[in-house]
Amino acid sequence: MKPKVAFFDFTGCEGCQLDALNLEGEELLDLLNAVDIVNFREVKTEREDSYDIAFVEGSITRESEIPRLQKIRNQAKVVVALGACACIGGINCLKNHLPMEDALRIVYGEDAKYYDTIPARPADAVIPVDYHVRGCPPTTAELLKVIKALLLGKKPDIPSYPVCVECKMAGNVCVFERGMTCLGPVIRAGCGAICVTSGWHCWGCRGLVEDPNVDSEKDILQKYGLTVEQVVEKFKIFNTYAEVTK
Amino acid sequence: MQENSVLIVDDEPIVRESIRDWLKDAGYQVATAETGEEALEMVEKQDFSVMVLDLRLPGKTGITVLKEVKTQRPWIKSIIITAYPSAETTAEATKLGAIDYLIKPVAPDDLERLVRETLSAVGREPTVTTEVEIRPKPPVVEVVEVKKAFVITKDSLKSMVEGLAKEREVVGVKSRHGKYVYDRIASFEELCLDYDVTVMSPTKYLLPAKETLLRFKIGDEPEVEPVIEASPRAIIGVHPYDIKAIELLDEAFMTTNPDPNYIARRQNTIIIGADCLNPSPKSFAPSMGTYLTETGFDLLLTNIGADYMITVGSEKGADLLAKYAQVREPSGDEVAKQKAVRDEALAKYELSLNVPRERLPKLLEESYDDPYWESRSETCLSCGSCVMVCPTCFCFDVQDEVVLNLKDGERLRQWDGCVLVDFAKVATGENFRHDKASRFRHRIYRKGKYILERYGKVGCVGCGRCATACLAEIASPLEAFNAIAESVQAKEAAMRTIREVKPETELYAPRLAEVVKIDELTPNEKVFEFRFKDGKELGHRPGQFVEVSIMGTGESPISVSSSPTKDGTFQLAVRNVGNVTNALHALERGAMVGIRGPFGNGFPLEALDGRDVLLIAGGIGLFPLRSLVQYILDRRSSFGKVILLFGARSPAERLFLDELDLWSRSPEIEFQETVDKGDESWKGNVGVITTLIPKVDIDPGKTMAVVVGPPIMYRFVIGELKKKGLADENIILSLERRMKCGVGKCGHCQINGVYVCQEGPVFTLAQLRNLREAV
Amino acid sequence: MKQVNVNVHQVTRVEGHGNIVLNAKDGKIEELRWEVTESPRLFEAMFRGRYYEDVPHIASRICGICCIAHTTASIQATEAAFGIQPSEQTLLLRRLLYDAEILESHILHILFLAAPDFLGVGSVFPLVETHKDVVVMALRLKKLAYNLAELIAGRKTHPISCIVGGFAKLPDLGELKAIRGRLENALVDLDTTVELFRTLSIPDFNRETEYIALKDPKEYTFISGEIASTDAGIAPLSNYLEVTNEFCVPHSTAKYTKNKRDSYMVGALARFNINHEQLLPRATRAAKELGLNAPCHNPFMITTAQIVESVHVVQDSLNIIDQILARGLAEEDNTVKVRAGRGIGAVEAPRGILFHDYTYDDNGVLTKANCIIPTNQNHNNIQKDMEGLVPLILSQPEDEIRHTLEMLVRAYDPCISCSAHLLKVTFK
Repeated sequence: MKPKVAFFDFTGCEGCQLDALNLEGEELLDLLNAVDIVNFREVKTEREDSYDIAFVEGSITRESEIPRLQKIRNQAKVVVALGACACIGGINCLKNHLPMEDALRIVYGEDAKYYDTIPARPADAVIPVDYHVRGCPPTTAELLKVIKALLLGKKPDIPSYPVCVECKMAGNVCVFERGMTCLGPVIRAGCGAICVTSGWHCWGCRGLVEDPNVDSEKDILQKYGLTVEQVVEKFKIFNTYAEVTK
Repeated sequence: MQENSVLIVDDEPIVRESIRDWLKDAGYQVATAETGEEALEMVEKQDFSVMVLDLRLPGKTGITVLKEVKTQRPWIKSIIITAYPSAETTAEATKLGAIDYLIKPVAPDDLERLVRETLSAVGREPTVTTEVEIRPKPPVVEVVEVKKAFVITKDSLKSMVEGLAKEREVVGVKSRHGKYVYDRIASFEELCLDYDVTVMSPTKYLLPAKETLLRFKIGDEPEVEPVIEASPRAIIGVHPYDIKAIELLDEAFMTTNPDPNYIARRQNTIIIGADCLNPSPKSFAPSMGTYLTETGFDLLLTNIGADYMITVGSEKGADLLAKYAQVREPSGDEVAKQKAVRDEALAKYELSLNVPRERLPKLLEESYDDPYWESRSETCLSCGSCVMVCPTCFCFDVQDEVVLNLKDGERLRQWDGCVLVDFAKVATGENFRHDKASRFRHRIYRKGKYILERYGKVGCVGCGRCATACLAEIASPLEAFNAIAESVQAKEAAMRTIREVKPETELYAPRLAEVVKIDELTPNEKVFEFRFKDGKELGHRPGQFVEVSIMGTGESPISVSSSPTKDGTFQLAVRNVGNVTNALHALERGAMVGIRGPFGNGFPLEALDGRDVLLIAGGIGLFPLRSLVQYILDRRSSFGKVILLFGARSPAERLFLDELDLWSRSPEIEFQETVDKGDESWKGNVGVITTLIPKVDIDPGKTMAVVVGPPIMYRFVIGELKKKGLADENIILSLERRMKCGVGKCGHCQINGVYVCQEGPVFTLAQLRNLREAV
Repeated sequence: MKQVNVNVHQVTRVEGHGNIVLNAKDGKIEELRWEVTESPRLFEAMFRGRYYEDVPHIASRICGICCIAHTTASIQATEAAFGIQPSEQTLLLRRLLYDAEILESHILHILFLAAPDFLGVGSVFPLVETHKDVVVMALRLKKLAYNLAELIAGRKTHPISCIVGGFAKLPDLGELKAIRGRLENALVDLDTTVELFRTLSIPDFNRETEYIALKDPKEYTFISGEIASTDAGIAPLSNYLEVTNEFCVPHSTAKYTKNKRDSYMVGALARFNINHEQLLPRATRAAKELGLNAPCHNPFMITTAQIVESVHVVQDSLNIIDQILARGLAEEDNTVKVRAGRGIGAVEAPRGILFHDYTYDDNGVLTKANCIIPTNQNHNNIQKDMEGLVPLILSQPEDEIRHTLEMLVRAYDPCISCSAHLLKVTFK
């Protein structure tokens, strides 16, 4: 019996799910041989209410999304948070800095009363999550890695060390030596340090490592010319939720 | 045991008879054997103190004889003689316990002296070693002669590089983003030979960031094949410190347990070095003895102004010159110029060690508890930059990856580092170096002490890369060394060049073994009995472990639970804790798994011989200890009084119930057991295992204790044993660490300078007193 | 007393969340709504106080499909605010990157989201059994677009290398050459797609409306030019607010727009209607074969127009690669001098014209932002189309009505999550 896989989306850009389709012909066939995709609103019409593995994309930003997510947790054996929004809150959390009523009023004027919004949060602020596929967007390879691990019955081997390891493996010249700053030293690897390799720096979309030495990183960023404010702003883009809970 | 009895095994009559005569004249009892088979027959019937063994024999090889003698009468000391020394066989022989190694033709004096020393050592009480003997005796290899140097013009160098590019990939130093990197060279003009330092060291070409070790197909009978790929390559511009680093990697990967992947790359790589004339401000190579080198390269360039001096370092290098370049003899001025530019460069270094580097190991030994480690590592991010850029770092991790069809897969290795948080973490979640300070300290000790003591090569080449890469600015070993400076003498091994090595391609490839029986001990623990598909014996010693592979899931170390005296099969007792053990528990009879090994040192059977033995097993510590219990019972006459104490947490967690029953009723062994907590039906002892120790009656002068159990148990048991008057060297423990490769390469199982998979997992308490990380 | 109740909760095979509600009794429509229920993303809160360097990367996250569109519009708005003129090389690379975006987005819509409707299945998955070649081809085209974007910007979804002032890393010429071959093959694949669509029957429904798109006299443009309307002629970018006129409706978290009529349409069909004469020859040929003639007022032909545009961008990318290979690529100085100012960036996202309007202070920090999203601009048109279409099909069985209405929504290739978010906001 092939495991049943379902994709769900909450508040997000849906880029993570779309990247899941970035497969070669043979890979898609192999995937469909290995699992039954029973729910994928963006790509198929039929829906099923019974599934084994649920991928959840997007963060929770409305009251109405909470019971929906809880229902998925009750239904699925395994829940996987897919993408930065679901794993760490992601970019959606930037709005958390504004008081909610102000934000709504600004956007919708008097019609604000029709719209509810709550501070954005990751999936595991609402339900227990079994696995995470991190990144904004995650790589197709990592999504497949988690699926393969689930099928083989083993824990997926996701790095616990920072981006610097992969950056060096890729042969990059360190961003700090090129006049820029970077969050890499406290951000979890697994992306292959793609942003640095592409000429830029790390913004932290995969979230902090488990025991980050944030104070040291902040000191380093200041040493390289950022003010305290600028340092905090840098972390905020993807990691507001982590900052807020500290 | 017959004192003074020597067995000579050699198929050449001349050798055999002349050695026999020498030793007889010297007063020894001598027997001879012409073949390995004959030797083994004699060993079965008769005991010897020493065996002089030729490696090349018709029929059973010397190595096989050595192995089998070790199983039969492990106390026989072997001296190897051979006309064809090779690093590989000598390393293997030494691993099997050979005392020493002589090359034919053997001088009578040498042999006689060696036999005498060996015998006199046998006659004494077992030697107490407080230092763990780490380095095997180095193989005898030729030292390359002094180099010839020539002058080569820039144009000629260019045509040499272009010629090289036709036969192999050429990589060299070029500039990128204002720094220097090693990369493919498209044209000679791209080469920057006057650079200060590259971001990453050229060792990445010998041990790449990621490489495939095996390809496999998952299935009822898995298919596994080693993958060894190496295309010819030349690296141009390697500075002496990097050359020295490569020499270290050669030592680590080409001698003990030769690594086929590394060797293939190494033998296909030409190294064209270059003197460093513009050192980086962070470099301290002269302090580490690495700013010049006379070995380790095929060719070496020195920029003497208009032209280059090119020094030949090997036959390969000489061939290249002959093939592709026009060179001429240097004038006296030019030779002087070469020395002058080197001296000029030396003057440019800004940083240096404040103590002679020979003192570093002792210095570090005495500074283990220095508050420096804690304070300095405060700002450490555990980001891994220091180990990634370091030329002398080579620890790696091994993982299985599969394709979506869940059938095809690869076993890959990729760089890892001891400063990363999870490096020393095991499946149960325990992390043996869980804090920054201990990881930071370990790295510095590797660089300053452990590597030197194990491999005889300097562990830090002073390139300065980590000082640049570390954002917290704490990584430089120079600063650490200087910070805790003191005076000591240390040894440094002779420099040598490793040459012809035939690697064992199957080093990482597991052999298939079939599950012939499965018994459930408890809901979480099972015993699996295996037989190798090719019918061969495992050939292990009690206390050793194997690496078990479930292709696609991974590989895990598991102690062997049965004695080698049981023929045909071996047993592994497995607790379900992680990915691989989980997958194992799901197997049924007939399934095939991969096995590598046996690894580790095993229990010291020679030391136990003739003694009283007190065996103490806590919980699943019985898994490895059972192998020893069975061995002792099968060779009962070799031992005195034998006591076995076993403690389980509760009656439901008792293991091997049938055997416990057998042992409790056997007159050959005094068996006591206890449980921490009893239940309604339990009539036996209740209390932790230490409560049994005061009750046993032992003679501390004659007894050796062997203890295996969870770490927490050791401290208390040791306490009780000390109260009984047992000396440290008579208390034997087996330790657990995270193990991956099993062959002393990947670095994960380190306890200070010791590799658990090589010098352990069995240690005496005396040895552990000097291993600070151990308990 | 015939009751028709169609209640589609969260239309499938569209990006984002929207509902269709239809209640009719005895041929009289009581309720007919296209409801946008997407969670308000409140992007203006995300832009607030951000340094200019970070702004395009946040803008990218507005949408998972048209990330390159948002990034480009964001970069152009910032460059306009700072008075930066991108180099010729940068413009070539941006156009090439954009071609990848259009191709990827259109292929996703044509073959994965819309085609199943025409082939009578619920998704592309069953087609793996019945039309394996088509699925393999669709994946191949999508992957090609992905790889082309990766080559230029490091990654397709949420690109990395495109920055204010240029590119942080230049593509490798050797790899450009290699991908050129795959693009040639793509033209063949697109011929196959054209052939496939010629055989499908497309609902015939026409409702004339106003069409709005960017127009540039030099070429069939996606990232340059001025605002063109079929009703109102050409207007400069600075007039975009007068053209779009956003307003709120109670049943939608997205705003609506209108210009000269009750609603207007943006997107592939609008672009085709306005710029069809500038299509490259192969694309013009494809339009003819597919029976697409300007002006076309059938929203169900939007998908057809997308096929035509796909052919165009592949041919365009081949032209650009040849230009780049001829002139080579040179490292350029990307330093940016910030200054206080306001700038408007407009691009044609796959779904239609997109505006980003930014105001910066003299530290390069964003103080005010406004974005008009293409699907925003189409919501009103969808509503009006439904109002025009339903009376014509009311006599059909309920299932068919529902299916047709869903197909209508899907035809627009709406990108709903982008649309429910942003309005003009000032920060104190």
